[in-house]
Amino acid sequence: MLRAMTPRSSQNWSRFSDFVRTPSLVRSITALLTLAFFLLLTVNVASFVMIQRTATINDSIENAQRMRRASRTVLIAMLDAETAQRGFLLTGRTDFLQPFEEARGEIAPALRLLDAGAAADPSLRPYVTRIHALADAKFGEMDKTLNLTRAGRIGQSIQLVRSGQGKRYMDELRGTITAFDTLKSTRIAERTRTSERLGVLTVAMNAIAGLLVLVLAILSAWVVRRYVAEIQRAREELDALNAGLEDTVRDRTAALTRANDEIQRFAYIVSHDLRAPLVNVMGYTSELEQAGKVIDKAIAEAETHRPVAPDVVMAVREDMPEAIGFIRASTEKMDRLINAILKLSREGRRNPLPETLDMTAMAQNIADSVHHQTEASGARILVEDLPPIESDRISMEQILGNLIDNAVKYLDAGRPGEIIVSGEEVAGGWVVYRVADNGRGIAPRDHERIFELFRRSGKQDRAGEGLGLAFVRNSVRRIGGTIDVESELGKGSTFLLKFPKRLILSEPGGVL
Amino acid sequence: MTQAVKIIMVEDDHGHAKLIEKNIRRANINNEIKHFDEGGAALDYLFSPEILANGPLLILLDLNLPDMSGTDILERVKGDDRLKRAPVVVLTTTDDKVEIQRCYDLGCNVYITKPVDYESFAGAIRQLGLFLSVMQAPEIE
Repeated sequence: MLRAMTPRSSQNWSRFSDFVRTPSLVRSITALLTLAFFLLLTVNVASFVMIQRTATINDSIENAQRMRRASRTVLIAMLDAETAQRGFLLTGRTDFLQPFEEARGEIAPALRLLDAGAAADPSLRPYVTRIHALADAKFGEMDKTLNLTRAGRIGQSIQLVRSGQGKRYMDELRGTITAFDTLKSTRIAERTRTSERLGVLTVAMNAIAGLLVLVLAILSAWVVRRYVAEIQRAREELDALNAGLEDTVRDRTAALTRANDEIQRFAYIVSHDLRAPLVNVMGYTSELEQAGKVIDKAIAEAETHRPVAPDVVMAVREDMPEAIGFIRASTEKMDRLINAILKLSREGRRNPLPETLDMTAMAQNIADSVHHQTEASGARILVEDLPPIESDRISMEQILGNLIDNAVKYLDAGRPGEIIVSGEEVAGGWVVYRVADNGRGIAPRDHERIFELFRRSGKQDRAGEGLGLAFVRNSVRRIGGTIDVESELGKGSTFLLKFPKRLILSEPGGVL
Repeated sequence: MTQAVKIIMVEDDHGHAKLIEKNIRRANINNEIKHFDEGGAALDYLFSPEILANGPLLILLDLNLPDMSGTDILERVKGDDRLKRAPVVVLTTTDDKVEIQRCYDLGCNVYITKPVDYESFAGAIRQLGLFLSVMQAPEIE
């Protein structure tokens, strides 16, 4: 499992590193977008942190303000309480003491608030402890005077005030609270400045990030634009190349067509010019024969009167007819060969005409046409379902006809002949047909030779000039196909035909 | 009075010419045969004042000539107001359909392919002789 996975992951890795190394549009865009995404994420997180921090600072500022107010409340309430104490001492009226009690009530929560603040911030503790102690001391002094007054010992009470103890407490309290207030306001100012700085920083960061994203967007747009321009250029180049290629192909095709036409024309002229002397050879051979007959008649007449030399009789009655017979047979053969070349060159001059062909029916027709031969030898031809094709009918009939004829002609007398015609479509728009027999087969060294003009293979016990397969190959090539043979001597042969599913002529009359 | 038809034979192969002549004679045609082995000389003769003065003609024409194609001669003959009535028999080795069609299009009267097989050849010439014996060649004015 691990062994199976390692190559895959390393393959993935190498694919990835290839991707990274290879400069491409996708890579550039991906990099830019990733960068922009991370930038935005960073800015977002930073903004969030900043806002949190600003909120904390603002909270602490508010808290400090509250403490400042609480300290002032203590001072003011203490002053109120002192004023009430003085009023009571002067007048002795208890209603003057109401503000004193109110002040005591106000001081208690203010002091609690300060205590809470000091608990959170140890640097405030000395101030708060001092304020607390002074407030307690001051109240202690005031309670004492009030109690003395209530007890009627007003003189002692005034004496106590006069001692300045209460005033000292009060002054010290004022001083402590002022110092506390100063400290607090300094801190508030500091924190306010920090908060403002944070705000500016956040705005600046956002602005810079926005700017960067904009730059990335412009960069991406530029990359895409450049890429599109490149594609456009490449396409134009390709178009130009294609146009050039088409021209080249057209030129080459025209040249090949010319060359082919020349060869056909050459074969045609040569075969005609070969025929003309042949007419003479045949004609004058017949003249000689006629002359021979005249001489023969003269000798026969002479023989009635006197004996004729036996070598003369021999020359006229045996040698001459024999010579004439050989000349005639050879000339006839030469005529057939020339006609074969003529036919081949004429085939080359005929224009293929593509149409949709029912190959099964065509093969069956050909099989039926040789029925009398196969029946005589006990052979059978099996035509399987063949795929249709769009090609030249005459060429196709000649090709299949020749192959089936050959298969019938060269069956092995030692076993019942079986010829199978099959075919199927293959990938790439091709059709393959096979003509397979269990006949005498072809030796490997003859596999190429049998397609050559006037060449034959194996025992020469069948009539033929060695033309059929040469015609077949010529026709196959003319309709854009190929022909191959697979054969083993003594086992049988299979001829493989491969054609384009649709014959498309590059120009009227030319397939090369 | 009607004059004997003169046979003009344009044939570069002397063997063919002789064979044709022999077979014509064997068919009992005794008309004068004038033989040319090249197209130029034949045309000069055909368009000379002598031929214009001397009665009806029949032209035996081979297509493969050394100096020109027989179809050129055919075209000239059939393009001429006086000569166009003269029957033209094309006798050649070419049996190409297109070539045959072209000859008939140009106004050839008979097209005979020279068979290599002598019997057919002789037969064809004899038939031609038969044809010549019944044919009325028009006067050339």
